Amino acid sequence: MRRSITAGGLFVAGSLMPVSPVLADQAGEKPPTPAADQGPEKLPHQTGSHVPATLVEGKVVQPRRELPVLHKTSVLVVGGGPAGTAAAFTAKRMGVDVTLVERYGYLGGLATGGLVLGIFPLYDRGNKQVIYGIGEELMKKLDVLKYGIIDRNKAPTYPTIDAEAFKYVLADMMLDSGITAYLDCWGVDAIVDAKGAVKGAVFESKSGRQAILADIVIDCSGDGDIYAAAGAAFEKVKTNIGLISRIGNLDEVDMAPGRGSEDPSKTVTGKPGEGRPSKGRVNDFGGHAGNSTPAPHMNWLNMRGPVGDALDVADLTALELKHRRGTWSNVEKLRQKQGDEQAFLAETAPQLGVRLSRLLDGVKKLTVQEIRSGAKFKDVIGYSGAYANAPEFQIPYGSLVPEKVENVLAAGRCISTDFEVGDITRLIPVCWVTGQAAGVAAALCIQDKCKPRNVNVAKLQNILHQQGAYLG
Amino acid sequence: MTFLARVPRRLIQLTCFVGALVLIWPVLPWAIAPRLLQQVSPFVALSSSIAARSIGVGAILALVVAVISSFKKRWFCLYLCPTGFLLENTNHVGLRKASWWSKCPPIGRYVAILTIVGSVLGYPVLLWMDPLCIFSSPFAVNKATNPFSMILVCLGLGVLVGATFVFGMLWCVRICPLSGLQDMLFAIRKALWTRMAASASAQKFSAARRVFFSGGAGAVLAFGARRLGAARYRKSDTLLRPPGAVPEDRFAGLCIRCNNCTHACPTKIIHPDTGHEAGLAGFGAPVVKFDRDYKYCLETCNACTQVCPTGALTALPLEKKNRYLIGEALVDTNVCLTALGKKECDACEQACPYDAVKIAWDEDQYNAYPVVNDKCIGCGACEVVCPTTPVRAIRVWTLKPS
Repeated sequence: MRRSITAGGLFVAGSLMPVSPVLADQAGEKPPTPAADQGPEKLPHQTGSHVPATLVEGKVVQPRRELPVLHKTSVLVVGGGPAGTAAAFTAKRMGVDVTLVERYGYLGGLATGGLVLGIFPLYDRGNKQVIYGIGEELMKKLDVLKYGIIDRNKAPTYPTIDAEAFKYVLADMMLDSGITAYLDCWGVDAIVDAKGAVKGAVFESKSGRQAILADIVIDCSGDGDIYAAAGAAFEKVKTNIGLISRIGNLDEVDMAPGRGSEDPSKTVTGKPGEGRPSKGRVNDFGGHAGNSTPAPHMNWLNMRGPVGDALDVADLTALELKHRRGTWSNVEKLRQKQGDEQAFLAETAPQLGVRLSRLLDGVKKLTVQEIRSGAKFKDVIGYSGAYANAPEFQIPYGSLVPEKVENVLAAGRCISTDFEVGDITRLIPVCWVTGQAAGVAAALCIQDKCKPRNVNVAKLQNILHQQGAYLG
Repeated sequence: MTFLARVPRRLIQLTCFVGALVLIWPVLPWAIAPRLLQQVSPFVALSSSIAARSIGVGAILALVVAVISSFKKRWFCLYLCPTGFLLENTNHVGLRKASWWSKCPPIGRYVAILTIVGSVLGYPVLLWMDPLCIFSSPFAVNKATNPFSMILVCLGLGVLVGATFVFGMLWCVRICPLSGLQDMLFAIRKALWTRMAASASAQKFSAARRVFFSGGAGAVLAFGARRLGAARYRKSDTLLRPPGAVPEDRFAGLCIRCNNCTHACPTKIIHPDTGHEAGLAGFGAPVVKFDRDYKYCLETCNACTQVCPTGALTALPLEKKNRYLIGEALVDTNVCLTALGKKECDACEQACPYDAVKIAWDEDQYNAYPVVNDKCIGCGACEVVCPTTPVRAIRVWTLKPS
């Protein structure tokens, strides 16, 4: 599973290889003209500067070419999900120039497009909230919106947000932030210099393949696409990939107090939990399926899904199709149950529920033994709430910094943890925590002219504290 | 014997009393220490060996006591018995008014006969009346997790001390089955002795009718209790016994309610039953309950199986204990957070020490839910972490004979 890659070395999954250092040697210099033997001759019907991939002796060859530099920036955030938006907003607040690039047409990633509406784990074992900072700020913005968020400050019940309200909040903040944002723009490669240090990233969009040059890149792609392309070592993991849906007219009893709670006794029919369950028999959604959302009469229904490879386009395609067929048939099953005859499928999430794919090999690999034993770190940048069998735990700054490659930080689900810890740090509020820390750290790199691994941790913690983050 | 008589009796009694406390309280490095106390009792050894159809090395202790007691009348009571020591001192400070019971027949020996006959049928009916079991039981009070259990473990010794305070040595002299058995051993030895000497006619067994009736009652009660226990077990869905427990129809009888297992359990999951789990037949016998605040049957522990003096819990080495089926975990998918699409939860899968629970994806149902395989022994690790309230989606249920 583990695959270590050295800078400028092997071809890896998806044949990612860093762009030639040539480009990174600054724009003032004239890039070398492609030699005649480095690519096919331009065909007569082709116009402009573009040379397409060409079939040569059964092999598809991409000619060597110069990429237009779309933009130059101090901090480049790749990915506009919970980690990416948190990183961009906090870095911008530090007064540095920030650019954000997002693959989809909206911000929020899995929290909006993935319909992961439950904001957990927020609380420690004693039901005290341990995640504040930018995440709390975003939730406060949702508080004032009608149908924006429910079950705030009702531990152990976790808050549930509305995807559209959250898209609105993020768009509103982005427009007023002064951050340069590019949506519908997919980060596909890293730009490295001759020493292998990251100098920016390459993007595909309707405008073609373009480059953005940056001093620090924060990889919030979720899959660690940029640090992997830059040659950072990582562990590739496969886990369940689901697809969340929203189902209407499923919440007749839900208007009672405690909606969205974990109390299964609040069910439509029958009394689940009474009597001996038979071995191996599954009652199809006999209990009350899904969770309430801020929108009335609307539940969100999580799906675990089968194990799949989130870096394999064939797996992703098959799951996109099968999950939508399966969700439809499950809603038909739901309608069989008394009280749920009017249930309807409002939407399936635009994005697949990819949980984990790449896990960085960072300066510090956070392990499940450490979180279970309540390990304390000198470079703590925030907490994750208690989740399932794990208590609340500290996240060290070292988990955001690649072991070798310079000028790049990771935030979100692709940070440096083992599989079990990754299964918690991938969750929405924890991504806010790592995103905020990465944003502040990147800004400090610019201000103090240092590498991410040399950031003054005391200063970082101080600023995070000032920004309202909880560090214990 | 003359040597013993010269040593001040009180000193020996005190030494034995302290020795008993040392055995019960787990200060000794040997896990089996607590059970040695009850194994000294010939009553426990005889009845449980007959009932379990097996005899252990521990029976040697009881044999020594039995032999000495058959020569020196009530030697055990006078010198060794910690309960006797406690009651004697209680009597000294007590009211000592009542003497009505001095005309009572010696109930103790009929309790012993009844129990031994019951043992032949696999159910030692009144074995829990052994004074050494009654003595050790209250020491489990710190492991009791509810007031009922606390009262229950202290009940036996409390009643004895109270009765002795008011009525004097009624228990020791008339009711205690262990002293009754000693009396019988003494009488039998004497009868054999005289017969071998051929100098006297066979002793008149005036109590023949009582012996017959107590033996008959033992048989009837043992038969009834076994049927009751078996029936109860077939009916019950939640009755769980500690690991190593013999089949339910014999367990409640073989168990002498000494609460050694309750005391030994580091996670406080073993409780004396207040009667609503296994009914009257199982009153006070240990049941396993997985309270949310407490833990499960640890994969690193076999303590309860080591301390049982009667074999109601078979002494199992750790690896065998970890294969003993306490019950079976079953999942109610109408409650399970994962099956209902409520939450990302795999707490049961994570918690299982035996790799027996897997959140499986079912392509036909197009849903995921915990599936329990046959590695499950019902240790309860999944149950205690299941986050649903008030009912847990995964629970350990009584094993059903298939």
